Amino acid sequence: MRLPEVERGEALRSRMLIGFISAISGYRLPDAARVAFYHRDFVGRIFGGWTQSAMRGPSEWSVGERELMAAMVAEWNSNRFCRGAHRAVAVLGLEPATVDSCLADYHAAAISEQLRATLTFLEAMTRHPDMLDASHVREAMASGVSREQLTDAVAVATVFNVITRYADALDFVVPSEAELARAAGMLLKRGYG
Amino acid sequence: MGAESIQRHRESARRVREAIGGPSGDIAPDLREQVAARGGGGAPIAEPYDALAKQIGEAAYRVTDTQVEAVLSATGSERGAFEIIMAASLGAGLARWDAAIAAIEAANDAPA
Repeated sequence: MRLPEVERGEALRSRMLIGFISAISGYRLPDAARVAFYHRDFVGRIFGGWTQSAMRGPSEWSVGERELMAAMVAEWNSNRFCRGAHRAVAVLGLEPATVDSCLADYHAAAISEQLRATLTFLEAMTRHPDMLDASHVREAMASGVSREQLTDAVAVATVFNVITRYADALDFVVPSEAELARAAGMLLKRGYG
Repeated sequence: MGAESIQRHRESARRVREAIGGPSGDIAPDLREQVAARGGGGAPIAEPYDALAKQIGEAAYRVTDTQVEAVLSATGSERGAFEIIMAASLGAGLARWDAAIAAIEAANDAPA
């Protein structure tokens, strides 16, 4: 269910900012950004900082690979908003055919064994966290993934296991393909801070 | 980067967890923490919070307007309902973080 205060902005400054950004960008400001402006002192500022760090901070994973992981978490959680939004950013750094084949079946996609093994771990973490154990980690690391790489990927999957949930609970509007493509450029440039 | 990267994420997780029950929310901190625990698969809590937190944790795409409306009515404000939704979502994410980090540490400690 959508919350009107999140939709329009809580304070006058937020409402003006939402209107201004929508006007200059030429598309409706996505709901993810509206949530980021709302009741920001609760957890938004701190959680936004972790999201920025996981998605744009130092990592051996490229930005495109991390955006692909975000889209995959959305796929596993059946969340259309994040699947579309992060696919649109991922294709700015990776081949679109690679991204789409991953979303269809990453087991058969033309990606590195390290990325495939990491996605296998992230899928288990997302779908069956209670069943995760050291054997899953060893399987991932046998492909050549380091502990640091796996931890960075786990951070990406953690923040998107949060975002996909509130996106569905708050019934985010799924933008058109054209709007997603335009918003992706902004997300790539400005990040999540 | 290695150990620094791990420490950076650990610190972020700690700060997020602390913020859920921190001083910047409108509704009772205990309730926010209970909702986060329930979103992460924890014990049942009072209704109508239980139904929404459990649904967000297990399959958020199946959340209904009725579940959110009931929480909106119980908290008496959109900010309150927003805090419940965020707490349940964060609880589900942090439960996965905890499970993954525990597995990584177990693999590091135990012989293969």
